Amino acid sequence: MPQQGEARAATMARADFFSALVLVALGGGALLEALRMPRFEAIGANPYSVPGLVPGFLGAVIAALGLVLLVRAVREGGRRRGATGIGADAGGARLWLALALTLGYAALLVGTLPFALATGLFVFAFIVLFEWPESAGRRVRGALTAAVEAVIVAAAVTYVFEEFFFVRLP
Amino acid sequence: MLDGVYRLAEALLGFATPLALASVLWATLLGIVVGMMPGLTATLGVALLTTLTLKMAASQALLILVCMYIGAIYGGSRSAILLNIPGTPANAATTLDGFPLARAGQAGAAMGIATAGSVVGSLIGILMLATISPLLGEFALKFGAFEFFWLAVFGIVISGNLTAQQDPLKGWIAGFLGLLVATIGQEGVHAYARFAYGSTDLAGGIGLLPALVGAFGFSEVLVVMCQPKPEVVREMRGSVVPRIADVWRYRRTAVRSGLIGTTMGIIPGVGEDMGAWVSYAAARRASRERDRFGKGSVEGLMAAETGNNAAVPGAIIPVLTLAVPGSAPAAVLLAAMFIHGVRPGPLLMIESPGFLWEVVAMCLLATLAMFVHGMLLTRPLLYVLRVPRERLMPVIFVLCTVGAFAIAGRIFDIWVMLAFGLLGYLLRVLRYPLAPLVLGLVLGDILDKNLRRALVLTDGDLAPFVTRPISLALGAVTLATILLSYPAVRALLAAPFRRAFGVPGR
Repeated sequence: MPQQGEARAATMARADFFSALVLVALGGGALLEALRMPRFEAIGANPYSVPGLVPGFLGAVIAALGLVLLVRAVREGGRRRGATGIGADAGGARLWLALALTLGYAALLVGTLPFALATGLFVFAFIVLFEWPESAGRRVRGALTAAVEAVIVAAAVTYVFEEFFFVRLP
Repeated sequence: MLDGVYRLAEALLGFATPLALASVLWATLLGIVVGMMPGLTATLGVALLTTLTLKMAASQALLILVCMYIGAIYGGSRSAILLNIPGTPANAATTLDGFPLARAGQAGAAMGIATAGSVVGSLIGILMLATISPLLGEFALKFGAFEFFWLAVFGIVISGNLTAQQDPLKGWIAGFLGLLVATIGQEGVHAYARFAYGSTDLAGGIGLLPALVGAFGFSEVLVVMCQPKPEVVREMRGSVVPRIADVWRYRRTAVRSGLIGTTMGIIPGVGEDMGAWVSYAAARRASRERDRFGKGSVEGLMAAETGNNAAVPGAIIPVLTLAVPGSAPAAVLLAAMFIHGVRPGPLLMIESPGFLWEVVAMCLLATLAMFVHGMLLTRPLLYVLRVPRERLMPVIFVLCTVGAFAIAGRIFDIWVMLAFGLLGYLLRVLRYPLAPLVLGLVLGDILDKNLRRALVLTDGDLAPFVTRPISLALGAVTLATILLSYPAVRALLAAPFRRAFGVPGR
């Protein structure tokens, strides 16, 4: 077990190393963008009321905290290669499937297809694909109940939001 | 005092309509169900219900949201005891003693203790909500721009500290990220659209509700679908009615946990999880049966469940008096109040003094409903735990999508939900707490307006930030919180105490 714990700490140090780089870039970027924001000198605005003041301050703080994290991650060996990546564990395949389904539905189908149809397809596909590996022998029944659930969810959500909440669904 | 009792009675009578009482019953029940299901948190429950209650009258909608909130924090104990999986993060401490009790065949008794603890905790929290809020509200009237600036910074720092105790740095980073995200869009002084790059959607700013639905809904769907399948529900025997003897025996623990839980609730952005953990730790330190803790201690279970429910009314105290949320679900509640035209903050007690008592009445009714459901429906509700995640999660995600969209009818909000879901998932994998991020989103506007207002007032002079008494106190506490999170500083400070009192260091 201690070996596993060490491996995990090394993985975290490596992840921290990269996220710290992102944070420093983000904070620094926000600071630069804040400096470029208008100061409204032409209309005689108070120099302490300029829009860039707070984002600049926050950007600087985030960049500084990112630097602290960076130093710590480097000390813990985060710059060394070889540590395994996060997300490559057993849940990896399921994560990618979940991501593909949810993003495909919310970012692509909704707005392209009628809402009820998009929802029904998503619910059906989600259930069938995730149950597939464990459902040998019960697949027809599983798919049928999934279809029933998909129709009910799509109809109910569409009806409730359009009739009761007067939301015009995409 | 008498005035308070009169106003409370008035508020309770106001809710004595069939519609309101029915709402209390179904909303609390729905809250318990949401809390029970691993992957559905109180924050998500309140956020989704906010989108469903947009068209209702303010008091009706807020009543339903409070019931959902209280029900969910209680409901999470069911799965903690039976599955060893906390139904909401607030019930993590409940698993330590609840699950061993269930394994020893005492699941029913454990459920009963959890019900009793939750009710006691909730009542103590409500009592403090009723007594502290007016005082805090009056105190907050003295707050100027300088104090509100410090309050925002203090909130982020202490929330980061307490929600990421192993690694406060990550808590602070999450909090400041939230503050930065909150600056996106039109600002309040010159109406300049920051970080918008010509997009009218970005100029409108990032909505709190779509962001929360993403961070607590979508990211949770991803987490749940990656986890290995949970164990099947075990059989439950024994009565679920709490034995009065148990409650009386641990009355000191119950009261202490209630007070600690409420305090954790009041501290900005800390909330129910810490309410349970700190109460649990305090109970173990004070207990004569210390060695039973973690092996099925009734006292430990009681402390955890009293602490988390006490934090709910506690978290509402700063919402009402300072417009600063005590926890993530309370942040949603705050957003819902703004949507419904209630303006919480120091002026609330003056503008609408009856509102506090309405909220107290809501909490009381929800607690009562929680108790009734806990007594009558514990067994039938266990079927909820059998719903397979493959069948539940797609429905949750559909509700997240349509909920995010329904608030303003903007496709952009769906994108915000997705972005925050991915961000939330990444932050969780990298061990950043989400509560400070949420707090930052809410406090961003307060920080922005008050820092600039303060600097304009003094023409750039920083002195009032440290010379005004309340400012000085808030600033000093903030600095102390940062310094004390370094073990080296703590050791340095502890040394003289240890010498003086002869306490051995840990």
